[in-house]
Amino acid sequence: MVRFTLGLCLLLLAMTIIKSSAKSDSIFPYKYQKETLPNGLTVIMIPMESPGLVAYYSVVKTGSRDEVEPGKSGFAHFFEHMMFRGTKKYPAAVYDSIVKSIGASANAFTTDDLTAYHLNFAKEDLEKVIEIESDRFQNLDYEKTAFQTEAGAIYGEYRKNVTQPFSLLNETMQNTAYDVHTYKHTTMGFEADIKAMPEGYEYSKSFFKKFYRPDNVVILITGDIDPKATLDLIKKYYSSWEKGYVPPSVLPEPPQTAERTAEVSYPGKTLPIINIAYKGDALDPNNTDYVAARLLADLAFSENSDLYKKLVINEQKVQFISSSVPMNRDLPLFEVYSMVKKPEDLNYVRDEVYRTLEEFKTKPVDQKKLDDLKRRNKYGFLMALDAPDNVASSLTRLIAITGGIEVIDQLYKKSDTITPQDIMSAAKKYFTPERRTFVVLKGVQQ
Amino acid sequence: MKNVIFLFASILLLIPSSMTFGEEKVSEKNMVLLPVGNDPTISFRIWFKVGSQNDPAGKEGLAAITASMLTDASTQVNSYEQVLDKLFPLAADYSASTSVEQTIIYGRTHKDNIDEYYPLLMDAMLKPAFKQEDLDRIRSQALNYLENSMRYASDEELGKAILYNTIFAGSPYGHITTGLVESVKSITLDDIGNFYKKYYTADNVIVGLGGGYDAGLVEKIRKDLDALPKGAPKTVPKPKAKAINGLNVTIVDKDAQSTAISLGFPIDVLRGSKDYYALSIANSWLGQHRNSASHLYQVIREERGLNYGDYSYIENFPRGGGRMVPPQNVCRRQQIFEVWIRPVPNETKHFALRAALREVNNLVDKGMTESNFRLTRDFLKKFVLNYAPTTMERLGYALDDRFYGIKGSHLEIFRKMMDEIKLSDVNKALKKHLKTGNIQIAVVTKDAAGFREALINDAPSPITYKTPKPESVLNEDKEIIKYPIKVKPGNVTILKVADIFSK
Repeated sequence: MVRFTLGLCLLLLAMTIIKSSAKSDSIFPYKYQKETLPNGLTVIMIPMESPGLVAYYSVVKTGSRDEVEPGKSGFAHFFEHMMFRGTKKYPAAVYDSIVKSIGASANAFTTDDLTAYHLNFAKEDLEKVIEIESDRFQNLDYEKTAFQTEAGAIYGEYRKNVTQPFSLLNETMQNTAYDVHTYKHTTMGFEADIKAMPEGYEYSKSFFKKFYRPDNVVILITGDIDPKATLDLIKKYYSSWEKGYVPPSVLPEPPQTAERTAEVSYPGKTLPIINIAYKGDALDPNNTDYVAARLLADLAFSENSDLYKKLVINEQKVQFISSSVPMNRDLPLFEVYSMVKKPEDLNYVRDEVYRTLEEFKTKPVDQKKLDDLKRRNKYGFLMALDAPDNVASSLTRLIAITGGIEVIDQLYKKSDTITPQDIMSAAKKYFTPERRTFVVLKGVQQ
Repeated sequence: MKNVIFLFASILLLIPSSMTFGEEKVSEKNMVLLPVGNDPTISFRIWFKVGSQNDPAGKEGLAAITASMLTDASTQVNSYEQVLDKLFPLAADYSASTSVEQTIIYGRTHKDNIDEYYPLLMDAMLKPAFKQEDLDRIRSQALNYLENSMRYASDEELGKAILYNTIFAGSPYGHITTGLVESVKSITLDDIGNFYKKYYTADNVIVGLGGGYDAGLVEKIRKDLDALPKGAPKTVPKPKAKAINGLNVTIVDKDAQSTAISLGFPIDVLRGSKDYYALSIANSWLGQHRNSASHLYQVIREERGLNYGDYSYIENFPRGGGRMVPPQNVCRRQQIFEVWIRPVPNETKHFALRAALREVNNLVDKGMTESNFRLTRDFLKKFVLNYAPTTMERLGYALDDRFYGIKGSHLEIFRKMMDEIKLSDVNKALKKHLKTGNIQIAVVTKDAAGFREALINDAPSPITYKTPKPESVLNEDKEIIKYPIKVKPGNVTILKVADIFSK
């Protein structure tokens, strides 16, 4: 990072104030620039005086959702690891030493709908980062032995996670709730598939060819950048990348027609945990029911909800209760979790969740509570955007699913219009026994 | 509007250290101010000089529970439900973090909401209600953590806890902050009230305030906290770790699918000293946290695929699985050198332990090479910029500087020292501080008795791979397989998992 003189800082400060004064009514507080190259690569640049720090995210719109071949669950995540195994120009050790020499903080993660590679570094190293990132996305090259060794590290990651009861619970829930859609398996994958990974060398090459294409990737750059100069660099290094993304044929999940249940045993000791899930809808800011369901989940189960106060604070029957209405490309599960203190209270807690959801179908929510939640969501979003990496990580999922960040304003504008009646409609649509899967996890040891 | 935050933060970082973190504005001894003019948020870190080292014998966990009874419970003004209702629309909250030596009440709000937020925060510290129903709820969480989560859900966290508990056994550092099962069960409202009166005093607090606050807030918080009783409790003497004699191994026997290993020993090096920064370079090369540049990571994970990662530390780094850069406000006057080997297949535990010890010994014996030294030094000089990009994190570092008595800024000194420290400084510090003959080792695994036998016999630990490995790796394996790590029979302790965190 270049050492600023105080004079330069003051100059930048003046510039910042001028920019800030030109802000629009968008909830997203930063101006940004979005470009798409002829090969389909999308670039989103969000300048912010950070100062001297840049966050660089390569967002691949492929996650475990795209693992359509039998026996290949967990491969998107495995492939994320292989992306660190180098190219002819920059073998793994050279890539690592470059990342180290520029003092970058670098990592990657995989989820159901995306894989993201991210680096935080000083702005003077931007071109070097663009060069090495564009190189590995176009020219990844690894030997079979490196591939097979990495499979061991993946199994190590699985072993690290598997002692956590929530891993087992989620694995069981997804496997029970879905029949054909790839959300049936977790991002980690089925254990049998993880064990078989060393045999998948040829498959891994085809995975790269299919999914690591410019028309399936968004580059997101936040921080101390000059958009024009940055775009020139992106064009210089990424233009030769050939398009050719082949979307996978992900089977749509047929509508669920009856409630499902499952029980899973955790080999250690834990309080029982219940997970109640309902088939929901994909992210869509124009879907009133979906946006209302996101608000409903907080109204019904967050810290100031009646049920939280009852079960956590007053009756103290559960360690916690929480909910999730996620943002997904396809139909996700809208979930409620609770860790119950005594096994004999399991049915009671489950029925309290059902009762609460039924109430939302018939009783309009208090307008003040709804307004409080809308206020909370706006402040929560704003407060999260406090460093280049935090801005980029807040946007990654939205960008992977929609290709841009316009969806933020669309979501908040729609949210502003949601009424107590809309909440009731959403409750009636989603939270029905036919859409439901109930899973309980119990510890084997007492 | 937000963009300006970082600009100001930059000014604070890069201008001369006498002005770093705005400390030139501090007019009283118990405040650390980090004004960031156009930051639309306000950050609080209220540091009470109390931690688990102050837990009375038989009441281990009292410091942590008392802190939670302030932030996660009713006040004399509002019931806990009302507190949650009032905080909810603000998207703001406050929490307590108790470590061995410190308790921090921290929180952050958008400045639009400061008038609603501030009284709630002050009530939590000044007017706690200490109700039995809140204690019951908080205690239940603590017991669930000890009896279930720690014992069964994360063998690597369990391994680290065992390492610290054994190194500091018998000292005020000798238990995890959550305490012991029996002691947590025994804590009463009277215990909490007395502890609060003794340690939450006007003379035992440092106020950290950062972001876009008005000048009036400084006066107000100073005046409000003055309502706390006067007087400072006696300082707990710095703990003396028992001397480790050779290799000492504690094995937790449980039906584990894989083996978690942590090892280490006390070091007399703290932030601010030249040796700290010299050792930081060596440690970064050996085991930079969650970074593939870590040499241990390269040897154990990258070349051999035995696990998910392998790292080393020269200061406490709790909750490492969830963080990429060090946390703030977990300061200790006595640190340890620590190696964290993430779970390996059970059949490779002896090999992995040998591989790690061999690398540590090699580093101390041979020192860093000139090229590794230069590369790592340059890496760290830039990498520390990632340690504190937000106001809240910078405020945390500013408080840490106060704890360690650092004039100016640790992060700034860190960068400066990267220009000053020479390879000879690093290799000298390694020999001076890393006495690798005496190491405490914590292992969570199955077949503890079998592993004990293997250790005391120093039995070879052959390894086979399911996939081909390069000749260089196989040749190195021949040395690792028989690398001597002799453990005396009396130096191996086997614990049952159900007995841990229990008297």
